[in-house]
This record gives sequence, structure tokens and C-alpha cells, in this order.
Amino acid sequence: MDKPVRPDLQFAKEIIKAGGESLKKCYQCSTCTVVCSLAPEDNPFPRKEMLYAQWGLKEKLYKNPDIWLCHHCGDCTAYCPRGAKPGEVLGAVRKLMIKDYSPPKFLANWVADPKYLLLIFLIPILLFMGELFLLGYFSGTEIPRGDNGEMAYSAFLPAVPWIDLPFMAVAGFAVICFYLGVKKYWLDLASQYEIKRKDIYNCIYETIKDILLHKKFQLCTTNKSRYSAHILVLYAFIGLGITTGIAAFYEWVLHWKSPYPQTNIVKIIGNISGIALIVGIFLVIVNRSKNAAKQGIGSYFDWLLIFIIAGVGVTGFLAQLLRLAEIETLGYASYVAHLVFVFTLFTYAPHSKMAHMVYRATAMVFAKAALREEGVKKQEAA
Amino acid sequence: MHHNGSPNRILVIGGGFSGLTAGIEAAETGAEVIIVEKNPYLGGRVAQLNKYFPKICPPLCGLEINYRRIKVNPNITFYTMAQVDSISGVSGDYNVKIKIKPRYVNENCTACNACAEVCPAERDSDFNFGLNKTKAIYLPFEQSFPLRYVLDRTACPKDCSAPCVAACKYNAIDLNMQEQIIEVKVNSIVVATGWKPYDAAKIDNLGFGKVKNVITNMMLERMASTNGPTEGQIIRTSDGKPVEKVAFVQCAGSRDENHLPFCSYICCLASLKHTLYIKEQNPDAEVFIYYIDIRTPGRYEKFLNQVLEKGGVNLIKGKVAAIEQDADSDDVIVTAEDILSGTKIKQKVDMVVLATGMQPEGLEFKVPGLKYAVDGFVIDADGIYSAGCAKNPMDVAGCGKDSTGAALKAIQIGVRR
Repeated sequence: MDKPVRPDLQFAKEIIKAGGESLKKCYQCSTCTVVCSLAPEDNPFPRKEMLYAQWGLKEKLYKNPDIWLCHHCGDCTAYCPRGAKPGEVLGAVRKLMIKDYSPPKFLANWVADPKYLLLIFLIPILLFMGELFLLGYFSGTEIPRGDNGEMAYSAFLPAVPWIDLPFMAVAGFAVICFYLGVKKYWLDLASQYEIKRKDIYNCIYETIKDILLHKKFQLCTTNKSRYSAHILVLYAFIGLGITTGIAAFYEWVLHWKSPYPQTNIVKIIGNISGIALIVGIFLVIVNRSKNAAKQGIGSYFDWLLIFIIAGVGVTGFLAQLLRLAEIETLGYASYVAHLVFVFTLFTYAPHSKMAHMVYRATAMVFAKAALREEGVKKQEAA
Repeated sequence: MHHNGSPNRILVIGGGFSGLTAGIEAAETGAEVIIVEKNPYLGGRVAQLNKYFPKICPPLCGLEINYRRIKVNPNITFYTMAQVDSISGVSGDYNVKIKIKPRYVNENCTACNACAEVCPAERDSDFNFGLNKTKAIYLPFEQSFPLRYVLDRTACPKDCSAPCVAACKYNAIDLNMQEQIIEVKVNSIVVATGWKPYDAAKIDNLGFGKVKNVITNMMLERMASTNGPTEGQIIRTSDGKPVEKVAFVQCAGSRDENHLPFCSYICCLASLKHTLYIKEQNPDAEVFIYYIDIRTPGRYEKFLNQVLEKGGVNLIKGKVAAIEQDADSDDVIVTAEDILSGTKIKQKVDMVVLATGMQPEGLEFKVPGLKYAVDGFVIDADGIYSAGCAKNPMDVAGCGKDSTGAALKAIQIGVRR
């Protein structure tokens, strides 16, 4: 006999608080499941997730890759006859799931609640202000200029140790948090579903291909422009990652200090990616606002990440322009602001919406390994 | 006659089942009743039904009885093709302007059909929801009351030589008829403006108007009626094939914030009734009813069981949210999640019936001077009483009782003065 279902109303309330206010409106008609292009034929989502969420069945929600197979297209929300917004509810569940999987929990609480907004930014602001203080810039030390006498951020804040040290530390911290979270998630998933494929590396390869081609986003119908906005941001990040890699190579191997000429490959890739990031995140904001009624506007959690990414893009680009124009004070300020934004992006990546990247990819790999995606493939082919 | 000598006058807006009931009941107590109907005939939606609840019998005898009650009662005046233009005054003393559109056919008409035989122009039959055509001059249906033809000038070309005029031996066609406005004074008003089927084309994922062989429940009523476009044969609109597998999509536009937010009350029962129509013509037919909740209010639970006993009736919990044409036939594929098994299912059928709900007429067309709720239902006021589906979705029996009640409230206004 099945175990009796024990509702956890506290968890249901948490979901409601986390952005799933509309949860209780659901009357289980399953329009959502049918209009969802990403749901598999067998045990499709999100109708069952709405029921689990109403009963607060945390385990059912967490130990199932489905909450992450949802890409928040909003088709379900647009067609929901009750305004129950399944897309928003699943977003709220994912937010709680990130909190429960990525240690330490207090960081997850910080990024989920607007009352910690200042604190989130205060930490990197104090860190970099402290560095400037140590360099004596507040006590009259003149800011050094580049080798050719030009304004140079590498002279203002030499990468070693002022940039590389804190950033490598937070990156390392993020990797550890992610490792622990993903490990726990994978074990939880494997406790409920049989892994049917042995070729995990192929599953990973297929998942990466799906992500790079944005295969899932292409299936969304209500909000098609979401695909282009999101893919632009993704590729911008890939481009910026490559830029950082090349810059590290110049700095550490060739011992060639920035600034590099605008025609250098690192600047070309960096600038294109920077523009892509700004345009992409702008499109994200426009789409979200435009589709707010149909799809839901998203929660503070979503908007914090959008704000941080927009901040990274805008301050980064501004710092470059001001440097080229030799506008010193504003330029240095923009550069510090840029560092602050990048720092928040990295540090809180395992706990903020940014974590979707890792947990969704994990769920997608698992879904392939457990043959959870049958039926959706047919649609992709069509 | 009223105690102080002046007549107790009641205006009834709408000449469907509710309006007729309210008007006749009031008139039979001695009140003077004016019925205003926008169609060229009385009887409203009930006239379009093949069979109705609770006895599952043809409605025409019920309507006939009411027509007869009107004929023998000098207290009732009715205007067809008429609308209320304005209402002013207070309870007990309302001044109403009624606009009467020209019918272009006068009371000389004997319904001999000679005009229609020579008429060169056609129009979609609104009575049959566009399933067939009528001539520009037509009789709405065989038992129309008043039994008189009507000319649709919008379907009649401007340069038409009007052979109908020459064909009419009774001088019944008058192309010079003009729109008329009359004014009446009444003590109270009964609003029985009823409903219309929700426009299925607005439900964009259900394919109506785009996918072949997707019809509405009211279209099926017309098809099943012997006086309907297929003479009672339930067949596919695309190729005339008799149906063997039919899917019913419940809550098509009802209980849906994007469409009609309320339950339309009768659609579940209507689909069960339609299952009987189909089973009567083909006992081996298979029926699939996709529902959120099968609602059989009150004593109608028994009816559900009667239909299920017929066999071959599949009730599937899960709303249909996608309808597509089969790739290589005129068949239709419906998709739903079978919630009880948790599987997305696709079912191929010959025909899909959308159980569209009741949109109160007041949602799109408001009588000036009346108050409406946001969803289009009439809000009662002092001396103004709603009756039937203008108030709330209900079955015909419910409309009858509700309208009798409204009639009493209306009568009281004139008597209390």
C-alpha cells in the first residue's frame, strides 16, 4: 500500500512567500501540462507540481528533475484558466530548492530577501574600498599610470594581488558550494529514478549541445523573443569567459599588462561580448515587462540577477569608455563598481538565480540518463 | 386592472423561454405586458435545441403551448426585431423607447415560400450557426412565431430587381418599411435577455474555425434536429461521414479567466445529452468526454448514470488544451493529460464538440439604463428584475421558475403604487 500523504503546509506557505502567490488558485485541469512543449508524455509537468506544491510535498518536488526541465516559457501561465501561474510557482520552487541545496544557507537567504540588498553589495564595496585604502589612494597617494603614461586600470589596481586574489577566492568558494549542491541533488534524483543510460559523458555532451543551441527555449510559443534574449546573454558570458582567459594568459604567461590596443583580439572579443551582454539583458528586461500580464513578471530573486548582470555590463563598458577618454575619477569609480558587480555575480552564483545554470544543467543530464525526455524529443524533431 | 383603475404595465426585454414565461404569467394575472424581442421570432435559444432538459423531449411543444397562451391573451403585445433604446424614470413609472427594425414583410404573409423560391441571394443561416444557407428572404424555422418571412437587406444586393415582390400574391413584401421608434410607459421591467454561445474562435488552442470537424455544442443541437441543416443526421461537416468517435471538450471557454470566468451550468449535461443523440444514431459510437469536473447539479446526477449505462462512454479527467488536424485525414487529434494515470494522451476522433458556455448577452450588448455585473449578468434594481440566463446560467426548467418569480416581483410594483 502507498504511504499516506503527509502535507507540509509550512513548505506550501514558503512557496507562496517565495513568489508562488497564485499557487492555491490551481484547480487541476491540466491545461498547463498540455500547452507545455517541454513536458514529457509520461508524468508530464507542471500540473502534478502544482498539486505537490499545494500540499507542500517538498521531496516530490526536489527529487525529480522536472522543476528544472521547465524553462519558464510561460505558455502554461498564459493559458491557465485560473491565473494560477504555474510558471511562477515553479520558479518559486526552484528558488527554494537552490536554497536547500547550495550551502551555506544564509547566503541563499541574503539573495532571496530585499532587506539584505545593501549587505550583498556592501561586502564587495568594503573589500575594494579597503584595497584602495591600503594602496593609500585615500591618503594622497597619486594613482599610478600605465607604462606609456596612459590611464590604466592595471596600474590603478594591479591584478596581483588586488584583483586575482579575491576573485580566485570567491570563484573557488562558488565551485565548492556548487559541487556540494550538485552532488546532493544528483544523489537525491538517483534515489528516486533509475539511471538507465551508462554513457553519462554522452548525456553531458548532449546537454551542453542542447544548451548551446537553446533547443528547449525554441519550443516556447507564448514568448518567442525570450529565446533570442537568453541566448544572447549566454553567448555574451561565454565570450566574456574567453576574454578573461586570454587576458589571464597575457598577464600570467606573457607578462603583458593591460590596457591592450582596441584592435587586439582580446579587446575585440571582449567588446562584442560586452555589447551582447548589455543588449541581451536589455531584451530580457523588455520581454519580462512586456509579457508580465501573460507570463508573470518574476520575483525579486529573478530581478536581482538581472540587475547584477546589467550592472556588470554597463559598468564594464562605461569604465572602458571613460578610460579611453582619460576621465580619471569617474573612470576609476566605474571600474570599482564593475568589480563590485562581478564580485556579487561570482560570490552569490551558487545561491542566486545564477545557480539555475548549474542545477538545470544537472537536471537535464539526469533526465537524459534516466530517459526522462522521451516524447519531448519527437517535438524537437518536428 | 389595478385598484385605482390604471393598468399594471410590465415591459419584458427578451422573448426567449424566460421572457415568454415572465410575460405570460404576468399577463394571465391581468397585467398588461409588452415583450420586446431582437430576433424576428420568439422562443430564443430554446427554439434552437433538439431536445431539452429535464425530460429530453423536443422543445417545440413547450414553445407551442406558450405561443398559444400569447395568442389567446389580449393583454400581451410583442415586438420582434425590436430593441430597447432607452429607459428613463423611476420604479413604478418607467418611460421606455423601443426601436423596431423593418422586417420588410407585413402581416399579409402566409409563409407560402413563393418569395424565397425566386430569391437569387443567399445568406448564412444564423439560426443554424452558419451550417447552411437560407435565401435573403426566409422563414427563420418551420415553427417560427410569428409565422412570417423576413428579408435580410444586408444579404440582398442593392441592384436586386426584387423578384420576390412580384412573386408574392398577397402584397406582403414592403421594401419601403422604415425603422420605427415607439414609446411606452410601464410600471416595471423584467430583463430576460438570455445568452449566446461563447465565441469558440476566441479559444485559440482549440482550433475552432481552423481545424476541420471541430464544432460547438449548439451546432450539434442544430445538426441533431430534424428541422436542422442535416435533417437530424449527426455527420462530419467536412465530408458528411457519420461519426463513430466523438470527443467532447468540456469547459471550452467556461471557468476560464481568459474567457468566461464562471461555470455555465448546463454544458456537462448538454454533452451527456449529446452522447444520447449520438448513441441513438449509432449505438456502437464511442464518446470521449474530457472534463475538469463533471458537474451534474442537483438531481441530474441520475442522468449521468443513465448515459454511462449506454456503454462506450469514456470520461477522462483532464482538460483538452490542444486540437490538431490529423496529418492525412479529416480526423481530429485532441490532446489532454489523463490526470488519473498521469499521461499526456492524444486521441484521434472523427469529430470534436466544444462544450462552449453561456455568454450573457449583457457582456457585449448592454441595454441602456440597466446595470450589469462585470461578467455581463444583469443586476436587479428597484422595479427592474432579471430572469433566467440574463441573471445566471441555468437550465430551462430553472429559467421557468425564475421567470415566474420575476413576474411576481414585477406585478407587485404596479399593485403597490
